[in-house]
Amino acid sequence: MEQIRSSVKKHGNQGFIRRSPGEKLADALLTLFMVLLLCFFLYPLLNMFSISLSNEYAVLRADVTFYPIGFNPQAYTLILQSQELWRSFANSCFVAVVGCVCSLIMLSLAAYPLAYANFYGKKIYIFLILFTMWFSGGIIPNFLTMMQLGLYDTHWALIMNLLMSAYYVVIVRSYFQSIPISIVESARIDGANDFRILFQLIIPLSKPVLATVALWVIVSHWNDYLNPLMFLSSRQNYTLQLILKELVLNAESSIHNVSAVSTSSTGGAAALGQQTRNAVLVVAMIPMCILYPFVQRYFVSGVMLGSVKG
Amino acid sequence: MTSAKDRRRKTPKETIFNSAHVRHVVAGRLYRNRYIYLMILPVVIYFLLFKYLPMWFLRSAFYDYKLLKGFEGSKYVGLKYFERLLTNPNLLTYIGNTLKLNIVALVFLFPLPLVFAIMLNELRSPRFTKCVQTISFLPHFVSTVVLVSMISTILSPSIGSLAKIAKMLGRTPINFLSIPEYFVPINVVSGFWQCVGWDAIIYVSTLAGIDTGLYEAARIDGANRWQQILHVSLPGLANTFVLMLIMQVGQLLNVNFEKVYLLQNNLNLSASEMLPTFVYKTGMESHNYGYATAAGLFNSVISILLVLIANTVSNKVSEISLF
Repeated sequence: MEQIRSSVKKHGNQGFIRRSPGEKLADALLTLFMVLLLCFFLYPLLNMFSISLSNEYAVLRADVTFYPIGFNPQAYTLILQSQELWRSFANSCFVAVVGCVCSLIMLSLAAYPLAYANFYGKKIYIFLILFTMWFSGGIIPNFLTMMQLGLYDTHWALIMNLLMSAYYVVIVRSYFQSIPISIVESARIDGANDFRILFQLIIPLSKPVLATVALWVIVSHWNDYLNPLMFLSSRQNYTLQLILKELVLNAESSIHNVSAVSTSSTGGAAALGQQTRNAVLVVAMIPMCILYPFVQRYFVSGVMLGSVKG
Repeated sequence: MTSAKDRRRKTPKETIFNSAHVRHVVAGRLYRNRYIYLMILPVVIYFLLFKYLPMWFLRSAFYDYKLLKGFEGSKYVGLKYFERLLTNPNLLTYIGNTLKLNIVALVFLFPLPLVFAIMLNELRSPRFTKCVQTISFLPHFVSTVVLVSMISTILSPSIGSLAKIAKMLGRTPINFLSIPEYFVPINVVSGFWQCVGWDAIIYVSTLAGIDTGLYEAARIDGANRWQQILHVSLPGLANTFVLMLIMQVGQLLNVNFEKVYLLQNNLNLSASEMLPTFVYKTGMESHNYGYATAAGLFNSVISILLVLIANTVSNKVSEISLF
């Protein structure tokens, strides 16, 4: 954000010097265009939110656009009672939080030897990790592996599936490398072992990169749909996105033919009104909205980290 | 000048592998790194189990693989599934759709974040810029399921906003999702909504890094705003742009599979069935794991070929290469 501000500043003062009428017009048009673009970005979200709070007739007449018409929060009281929804919500939270913590620990363990140690087999180790960047088994072999390992229908299948990728390891390693090695060396001389150095010295110093990766992992767990669909079979294990899909999209089977994905009964979901459907979607987005202000400052640094890979 | 010392080194006893000293050093180094080996142990186990074991399972493409029987109990069928795939009359449609969906998305969606970043950069009020950018990030965090639900609400012929507009204009509302011709545009517009703000971050940061002096010099030389964009901003972004392009092509066939799968229905299948969705359905819905693995392997080969082509082209054009 600082960078944006400075980049705007450099154009700012030229306006005070001289602005031709043509330029003023261009500025006005640009601002207008940006406002329209903002509406475009916000419309689907606001529309969803408004429908969830509107009165049924307004929804059916398609009158609801940016704001609720005929305020009616009944949909929310209805979904508060849905046990299945809350159980899947808790499942998703479990997978996202445990997955994120495990990912961060494993990524640190993987990256530390790459950054600070010189050991026999390092080249093999690097190859082992980087090769997976270029080639992978693919969807079906992945599924067969989880079956073989007995992780099918457990949340650990989801956690393990997204635990580490070569890309994340490379990113964490390059951040570790930017920490002066003299710190590590002096700690070694003082007699600290590698685990202590990693957990008490390096990890506290690497908060920006770990926060960025944590954000990516949490978001990908929370929004994941196809992997839970593949790896989970019993309903009590279902994650939020699976339940969402059933509640929201299966009900519209005339539009969406959801071929044989989930043959289990949707438990009266077809009777859900438009408001309830949209209320469910809103509830599903709450955790991301809570997370959003905290992690926002890591967006820019995160993308910059991602772009310097390799 | 070869001294007695040098000659002594060449005696068999003292070669590298026999030297007690070297052995001592090796042992010392192994011992000194004992914690390092302990550290990489779980990582290596993870990669072997969850990244390399699936590669081993790729050979299920040659078996009539049955889940409960494993490789021992399943019948070896050789190249049967590859033959079946290559003689599948729909194969060309799948490949065509895969390429069409991805290439159209690339052509339209790739340059737009750059344009968006330049526009952000040209806005006068810092507060407004920040506000626009923050809101443009939001859609990136919306899950595919929610996105597809929003698409179907807005496009719905009964309660959708587009239907409302159509009615006001005196037209009969149509069900966009059931018409194959609209599938690619829907995919592109929703992709634009979800990605443009996020993908623009890198260009915004690059623009912020351009030396202010360059703009000043251009202004002194009489360049107007448009000329400043053309001759200062754009050249400053060129390298990033090409690099991002190559990286994007590298994962060309992997993207938006989930969205396409969720947007699919029987009516638009002729435009929406692509190789990855075919793989997924064959494996997970028809439980024909061997055939699905064979098709997945075929998809990987095409995708690797595309990356190689992209890399060669960009090598010739700009001397920036991925490998």
